[in-house]
Amino acid sequence: MKRKVIVLSLVCLFVLSLVLTGCASKPQQSASNEPEVIKVGWMGSLTGDQAVWGQCEFNTVKMLFEEINAKGGVLGKNLEAIGYDTKGDPQEAVNVAKRLATQDKVVAILGPNASGNAIPIAPVLEQAKVPDIATVATNPKVTVLDGKVKPYNFRVCFIDPYQGAVAAGYAADVLKAKKAAVLYDVGDDYSQGLKEFFEEFFIKKGGEIVAREGFKTGDVDFRPQLSKIKAANPEVIFMPYFFKEVALSANQARELGIDAVLMGGDGWPSEQLISMAKEAVEGSYFVNHLDYEDPEVQDFKARYKAKYGKDVELNGYLVHDAVLMLEDGLKRAGEANSEKLAQALETTDIKGITGKIKIGKDTHNPEGKDAAILKIIDGNYVFQQKFAAE
Amino acid sequence: MTQFFQQLINGLSIGSVYALMAVGYSLVYSIMNFSNFAHGGVIMFGAYFGYFFLKLLKFPFPLAFITSAVCTAILALIIERAAYKPLRERKAPFLYFIISAMGTSIFLENLIIAIPAIGPTFRTYPEVFSKHPFKIGELAIGRLDIMMFIVSAICLVLLIYIIDYTKIGKAIQATSYNIKASALMGVNTDFIIVAIFLMGGFLAGIAGVLFGMKYTVYPQIGGITIKSFIAAVFGGLGSLPGAVVGSILLGIIETFTSGYISSQYRDLIAFVLLIAVLVFRPMGLMGKVTEDKA
Repeated sequence: MKRKVIVLSLVCLFVLSLVLTGCASKPQQSASNEPEVIKVGWMGSLTGDQAVWGQCEFNTVKMLFEEINAKGGVLGKNLEAIGYDTKGDPQEAVNVAKRLATQDKVVAILGPNASGNAIPIAPVLEQAKVPDIATVATNPKVTVLDGKVKPYNFRVCFIDPYQGAVAAGYAADVLKAKKAAVLYDVGDDYSQGLKEFFEEFFIKKGGEIVAREGFKTGDVDFRPQLSKIKAANPEVIFMPYFFKEVALSANQARELGIDAVLMGGDGWPSEQLISMAKEAVEGSYFVNHLDYEDPEVQDFKARYKAKYGKDVELNGYLVHDAVLMLEDGLKRAGEANSEKLAQALETTDIKGITGKIKIGKDTHNPEGKDAAILKIIDGNYVFQQKFAAE
Repeated sequence: MTQFFQQLINGLSIGSVYALMAVGYSLVYSIMNFSNFAHGGVIMFGAYFGYFFLKLLKFPFPLAFITSAVCTAILALIIERAAYKPLRERKAPFLYFIISAMGTSIFLENLIIAIPAIGPTFRTYPEVFSKHPFKIGELAIGRLDIMMFIVSAICLVLLIYIIDYTKIGKAIQATSYNIKASALMGVNTDFIIVAIFLMGGFLAGIAGVLFGMKYTVYPQIGGITIKSFIAAVFGGLGSLPGAVVGSILLGIIETFTSGYISSQYRDLIAFVLLIAVLVFRPMGLMGKVTEDKA
């Protein structure tokens, strides 16, 4: 009996090792067959809470690379996308970054979309000297730590202080709110960042934060916190987190009879927010990276829809510009060398579909990008105005 | 005062969901002396079954409810046959059952993700109950919450009735005291195990559909059951009334911690409570004395 088990487990091990090594050697094989490719890594959530966004990002990258390759590629070489799933987990993100930089030897990495995943990969990038262009990672610490710019981290989106400040400014100046409450995710860098800057700017504008309540990533019931917020009677509730929690908490807020205006950041826009909480988020405002009806984005929107039969999520637009930035950087670097590419990216000055992308040398952020304020009316995102916080 | 009652209602509503899940753990534990961590996966499947029947096959709500519960009961039985029975036949140590249960739980979660038609995205149930709550003065009570509370209560009363007053219930009780002696006395213990997995699975289906209706459906739903497991241990693993009392108490403690102290201390206090109970009353609030509780 015992021997049978041992033999069986040995066989299993053998088969498993065959399968595993088989998988790992695949990318290398294709590389040796076609030397004329530039390998570009992508990382993001293909499973987990933010899978919708990750899948859209990777689809966009693949589509754009196909289009670029059809036009003759970059520097005479084809672009090849190698994407791995981070499951939205910071630990996994570090593993993926290591794998892309050291095993697959990519020239640059696109993504991840979440700040919580983009921050911990910096040491890996620095060691391997591979630049990364984050998509929707808006936390300041993604590119700058303790006042020093991280040499290999870049991004195409504006940052949290800006988003939190825009939301606070809009609430105070346009909505004329005096009392605001904040509900935020204590376990998430993104949420913490937005909350801090919203509070700072709202108080600066003469408003008052009447309640601040936290929850933990993965929570599904927010009624205890919302009941407390209700008792404080705010005019505006700022909800700086992602659409699933937004939908659940918005539904629960309305159930408890809270009729305050809800506001949020770029974690909101998603098809699923509307399908989950259409009534509850009606009349809410959020800060976004772009206006979906902007003529600049229509062509890309149509191409994506034609290829995948789905609407582009927010991340698609941002990763589109990350690809533009990469293409421009490679051309200016003159060769597919990750260190030269990083230098070239520092002086990026291009026009993306989400706005002007002029990278600041000391921040690695696109400077002076406008934010769009969108309002949810009848389940549609209706552009209100471009808003810049002072 | 309004705040107090509103938080109490919130706590009861959260606690009743925990209770439905917790009895599944207790049922299996009472007979087989191990914690069936695959239960969370079965609940998750229940939520998906409910979604499938309601949204895609457009079953009327009560029918969808029952069919989902039947499907999960069958799933629970399949898990028992595939993952536990072989271990039982070889008289494996209980630790192996737990490992097998954890493996099954991870398997189920990833199975759902791997099926392309389902995948990792969220699914929203069609609106069966209006989102507008009943109002008593300033108090708001969700219609779905009332329904959940009633359904949980009916299921739990029915279950306790079966255990206490029917022949099979007597057999289950006997088996839970001593599985070997009951077998010698002519109880078909294999059938009893089938019965408890069917009952646990049925309840998991109901819990899953209710949960899905309230919080939407996604593959990580099973994670929430860790709380109901705590509730089951808190109340006394193996004791059904204990599981119910433990769950309601945990729900209320959680909401009051969030509401009056800080939501950041919620889990801290819940877990400290668990450890305290295990230190001072290892059998839980209403549990029988046993040695291992893993």
